[in-house]
Amino acid sequence: MSSNREPGMGSYVGIVIGLMIIVGIEVVLTYQHLPVRTLLFSLLCLASVEAFVGVMYLMHVRYESPLLFWTVFPATLFVLVLLNYVWPDAYRMARMSLGK
Amino acid sequence: MSQSELTMSTGHEVLMEPSPYGIEKKKLGMWFFIVADACTFATFLFGYGYMRVGSQNWGTPFEFGTILNGIVMTFVLLSSSLTMLAAVRTTQAGEKASANKWLGLTMLLGTVFAILHLREWFKMIREGWGLFSNPTGGTTQFGACFFSITGLHLTHVISGVIALLIITRGYNQGRYNTSHVETAGLYWHFVDLVWMFVFPLMYLMNAR
Repeated sequence: MSSNREPGMGSYVGIVIGLMIIVGIEVVLTYQHLPVRTLLFSLLCLASVEAFVGVMYLMHVRYESPLLFWTVFPATLFVLVLLNYVWPDAYRMARMSLGK
Repeated sequence: MSQSELTMSTGHEVLMEPSPYGIEKKKLGMWFFIVADACTFATFLFGYGYMRVGSQNWGTPFEFGTILNGIVMTFVLLSSSLTMLAAVRTTQAGEKASANKWLGLTMLLGTVFAILHLREWFKMIREGWGLFSNPTGGTTQFGACFFSITGLHLTHVISGVIALLIITRGYNQGRYNTSHVETAGLYWHFVDLVWMFVFPLMYLMNAR
């Protein structure tokens, strides 16, 4: 039951081409031999942009009721933030394997 | 007959308030499924990150050929999102023949993705990779993470193709309507977007 504000197929083609270009940028960055953390941060940022564009336009959240957005996304984001509790232990394991 | 009796006799739907979300309940159900599934994939990817950070001998085994295969798979899946959008548009317009064509193309692209994926898997298995084996001598956790995460995604793609097949058949028989195709489309786009995280994290981060 999306509204009639939805863009035409031409706009969707543009969005998908844009996503393909972002994938191309990710591949180019991979072969720049950046430090692992810099590469990971860059790839995650680009993937998040792709996901946001995809959810808003391909999955039509942009054209649905704002209540759907506010019901679904803060809860998902909350879970994703909580999952970050694993990192201190991961770095502890890395330090242990180095014998420090 | 009173007004209330008239209202009662026309069925339950007139007594129900409209959805505050402005979407049908099957689409809302699909959104809740997507949230739960996104958390499942996130847990797998965080687990992979945990093991990767904690291991000293992780390695970067993927040659450019594997990455190229991944790029082709990504473009195939993104194209299938476009054909799915066209399928939804044509079902909304009531163009059944055109909708069948786009739905068929989406299923074809999903199948091509699965074939490319399985081809990559079999190549790796022939080289000695497995859930508990690493032919390069590094940690065995790489194989466990790679096959688990890409396998979970592949299961979603294959399930999506089967779901689209069922929806298309039902749509042609008149059992399913436009909203069923839209709901299947939501799932398909979600599977596509998950790959936008799986490809950089599982392939690009492990490129040589």
